[in-house]
Amino acid sequence: MQETKILIIDDEEVVLDSCKLVLEPAGFKIATAGNGTVGLGMVREFDPDLIFVDLKMPGISGFDVLERLRAMDPNRVAIVITGYATVSSAVDAMKRGAYDFLPKPFTPDELRLITNRGLEKHRLVQEAVALRREKEMLRENFAAIVSHELKSPLSALQQFLFALAADLDEKMSEEQKARLERMKGRLDDLLKLIHTWLRVFSVDVNKIKEQFQPVVISTIIARAIENVLPHATRKNIELSSTVGESLPIVSGDAVSLIEVVGNILNNAVKYSQPETTVRLTAEAASDGVVISVVDAGVGIAKEDLPFIFGDFYRGKGAAQMESGCGLGLAISRRIVEAHGGSVSVESEPGKGSKFTIRLPAKT
Amino acid sequence: MSEQKQLLIIDDDPDFVEGIKSILVKASYKVDVAYNPKDGWAALEGKKYDLLLLDVMMGRGAEGIMIARKLGKDAKFRELPVLIITSIREQMAFLFPGGAVHPNFVNVDELVEKPVEPKLLLDKVSTLIKTAEAKKKK
Repeated sequence: MQETKILIIDDEEVVLDSCKLVLEPAGFKIATAGNGTVGLGMVREFDPDLIFVDLKMPGISGFDVLERLRAMDPNRVAIVITGYATVSSAVDAMKRGAYDFLPKPFTPDELRLITNRGLEKHRLVQEAVALRREKEMLRENFAAIVSHELKSPLSALQQFLFALAADLDEKMSEEQKARLERMKGRLDDLLKLIHTWLRVFSVDVNKIKEQFQPVVISTIIARAIENVLPHATRKNIELSSTVGESLPIVSGDAVSLIEVVGNILNNAVKYSQPETTVRLTAEAASDGVVISVVDAGVGIAKEDLPFIFGDFYRGKGAAQMESGCGLGLAISRRIVEAHGGSVSVESEPGKGSKFTIRLPAKT
Repeated sequence: MSEQKQLLIIDDDPDFVEGIKSILVKASYKVDVAYNPKDGWAALEGKKYDLLLLDVMMGRGAEGIMIARKLGKDAKFRELPVLIITSIREQMAFLFPGGAVHPNFVNVDELVEKPVEPKLLLDKVSTLIKTAEAKKKK
């Protein structure tokens, strides 16, 4: 294991010596500097995990050392040693990036304790930095990884199944055909899931702005209903729609908007009891179009409402009722926001939910 | 039955190629395959095709795109209809920041995503060939 390194910057030799005396036997590698300039010069080479800085030194002060440390690397953990342990100087030091302070004189125990606290903080900071970096890398590479390593083999598989189904169409029994259909269905779900992930994590939804065109809302709604209808019919749920005449034209991306309305309708169907109705209304508003979808489904608990447009949220009833990955609303929100609109929800558990999409009219 | 149309597939995934090829052959197309851009270009230079099915993302880069671009610049190939195959529609937007998802490399082209349903594949192929022929007659 790499040894833990601590740098101590203090003009009083007795402090440096006593720190060494306490910390070295605990297995730490200690470096010392008699003033701020020397100390700062050692930081890059020695690369300490923790730095103690005396506030009051000849030459550059402890405060200046803190500020320059922070400018060099905001992730360094520094603790100030101060002879004038007033609250205000400690607060001042912490404002300039110190993690904690150690009042002089201190006992060996106090030094050990604060050292461990500082090192713990250092470890957490390092972990956070590593996680952030990892997240960035993942995001950057996700498109490439997903499209090539995951999606390509599945696409090839699916393509083979398509071909097989065509080749064997006359030779297969009904049962065999049904099995093949189920295989295709499962693969299709998987491909869609990958696609959705990709869109959530990797694709900048705002890109669609570059291709906005005048969009007729009634067409969007008709297409979305068409897509959801099989699902609704299967569950014996009626889809009713009331679309106002002369709705204003919206500037947007038709494919994405169909996806949004489809997602919301699909959710309404998903969380509805059989033999109920899902009602869609679209009407003109002063500044655009308002589309609302009302269901008589399971509803959403009040404490869940703030999270439903976040990634991976799934309704509590979802597990029993239907499958899904909990990304549909997150994507929908992003798409609507890219259009300069908003999506909101009102709901009462047991009674149902109302989703409202607002889209600004084309200017 | 009119004369058999000659198609070329350029795609580096042999399994995917096998899958679409069998569908096209069953629909009475004659199909040649190239598994990399270099062979693909050589095939295009060597024979006259009625349609090209082109995977835009081959290998690590967008080598397929280079072919599409070269085709668009070459008077000899500009009239060749191309069915662009991509694993992700939005990938096109990555490749051309600010560009349309469907960039229209050549006069007649269309974009489909992998995997492609047999019916959709055959529809696109025949429509593209017809559109290109109609344009030529004008």
